[in-house]
Amino acid sequence: MTSDGNGAGQEAIRFEGVSKHFGDTAAVDDLNLVVNRGEFFSLLGPSGCGKTTTLRMVAGFEQPTAGSVHLDGEPVEGVPPYRRNVNTVFQSYALFEHLDIEGNVAFGLKRSKVPSDEIKTRVAEALELVQLTGRESSKPAQLSGGQMQRVALARALVNKPSVLLLDEPLGALDLKLRKQMQVELKEIQREVGITFLYVTHDQEEALAMSDRIAVMDAGVVQQCGPPEEIYETPHKTFVAGFIGVSNLLPATVDGKGIKLAGGETCKANLPDDVSAGDAVHCSVRPEKIFLGSQVDKDMIALEGTIVERIYLGTTTQVIVDLGDDQRVISLEQNTDRSRADDRWEIGQKIKLGWYPEHALVLH
Amino acid sequence: MSTVAEPRAGRVSLPKARQGRRRPRDFDKPRFLRAFFWLFMIFTFAPLAIVALFSFNSTPSLQDFNGFSLQWYDEFLSNATLRQSLTASIEIGLVTMVVGTFLGTTLAFALVRARSRIARSSNLLMLFPLVTPEIVAGVAALLLFAQIGMELSLATIMIAEITFSISFVTVIVRARLSALNREVEEAALDLGATRIETLRLIVLPALWPAILASGLLIFALSFDDFVIAFFTTGESPTPLAVQIYSSIRFGVRPTINAIGTSMLLISFLILAVAVLLPRILGRKDEQNVLMGGDTV
Repeated sequence: MTSDGNGAGQEAIRFEGVSKHFGDTAAVDDLNLVVNRGEFFSLLGPSGCGKTTTLRMVAGFEQPTAGSVHLDGEPVEGVPPYRRNVNTVFQSYALFEHLDIEGNVAFGLKRSKVPSDEIKTRVAEALELVQLTGRESSKPAQLSGGQMQRVALARALVNKPSVLLLDEPLGALDLKLRKQMQVELKEIQREVGITFLYVTHDQEEALAMSDRIAVMDAGVVQQCGPPEEIYETPHKTFVAGFIGVSNLLPATVDGKGIKLAGGETCKANLPDDVSAGDAVHCSVRPEKIFLGSQVDKDMIALEGTIVERIYLGTTTQVIVDLGDDQRVISLEQNTDRSRADDRWEIGQKIKLGWYPEHALVLH
Repeated sequence: MSTVAEPRAGRVSLPKARQGRRRPRDFDKPRFLRAFFWLFMIFTFAPLAIVALFSFNSTPSLQDFNGFSLQWYDEFLSNATLRQSLTASIEIGLVTMVVGTFLGTTLAFALVRARSRIARSSNLLMLFPLVTPEIVAGVAALLLFAQIGMELSLATIMIAEITFSISFVTVIVRARLSALNREVEEAALDLGATRIETLRLIVLPALWPAILASGLLIFALSFDDFVIAFFTTGESPTPLAVQIYSSIRFGVRPTINAIGTSMLLISFLILAVAVLLPRILGRKDEQNVLMGGDTV
């Protein structure tokens, strides 16, 4: 392995023009991406976007149709999975049912002929890391879903791979356990310092855990960056719509700003590649939309009718109809002392607005 | 039957539903089913019991039981021809078991793993030998051997029995193999096991109960098979079932009771091993491979 600190040493994975075709369809199309050492990197996208195929090309289960994958600076073309210094955590856990927990975790070390006393200590360490000490002789069938996932994690981490690949590892767990495991995974990653390449379709999970996220759609990376950047400044309509909830209002480019469908004009930061008259979307996050008396003179203000009000505990979601089938979702914090549902009545006419800097022009 | 590493969806709800012993309801045990059961038992086992009983008869009578003796067993085992026949039957059973299990398992791999269209249609073709009347299979085998000028002997019986048995193995092993999660094999490769090691350490241990069960099943089928053996046997030695048939033509002797009881005992022992061995080895979820479940 190359040492840290210089050039290629910082790179855990590099994709160079990687494409993967299955018959006529391109699962991954000309992917160029670098994952840095020690990074928690997520591939996020809807099912069929090519994220799992990308992961499987790193693991060695699939060979790219074009381009090359580099691990630790070395191209891995044609290297079989069992000779790659990466390990995978599968969504189905894929534990060996006929082996006990210790046998499962020791499997990789035994294959690489590690001395047996070292195997014992390393297995014990790995099980301690995932809080399963004492379950060495249980069979996988005796464990709960969360415990099985921990075994799968220990079984992969015990080999000290240069990259850990995780394919929707929390997908089969229930919501509460998933949240808990998110925190644990993040903690474990920080503790062991191994590069994590994490595949998920759950945008909340990706935002919560990742150092950087690559949002994929149709085999192409739509945007890549830290969670805040992806969420706050999506570059494309797809990213804005996929990450969190976004209000996408149709508009046209008009001079230095945009003109909304209702005729209102406003200043906006325009992307470089649009010109006057182009159809675009104006994207505003629900929590950035203010209602009623909160609308001030610096905001772009519209008027509409409340059609739905959904109480969500910490927030209340208000859906406002602007006419022409255009609906805007606003999230209001329930910090008011008065009960939240006193404030907005269904059918009530209401003003709404947002600060121009919170609006993004996308196409 | 649980498959390997099936994702547990709700870890709370699923096991609980299985744990809870269902309260017996009235419609779970209608009386007439009990009557059916006992009728079934009587029709199945009464004739066998009579054969077994009369194999210990002290006189040649097939009507009256006149006291206990082992003379018919003695006559069976001291008859060189019958002993040869018994050995021949056991040889046929063992060879069929070993070769048939190997070929059938290999074929199951090909059918499950090959993605070709031929493999998919072969899935249906595999069931064909199971429904072909045995007499047709026997005549067909005889015609084939005659065509290619192969002299009838123990070898021809074995070839015919193996051909007939492969389907049983393939059907049983294939069911287990397709239930096997591909990700488990990928996990083994991922953890540094070569393809051969993956087969040896992961796939075969998972398939083993199905392979064992199908092997014992085809032993039991070919050991006492009559129809195919009758058409493909040479002159000497002939398998036990054929030998009994030819000896009946010269009058029924009580020895056949002893032979029949012995064969029954051997088959029963094999069946018992097939059912009990996986249980003894602690694979509780596999113990019913022979009893239906997710197999045929």
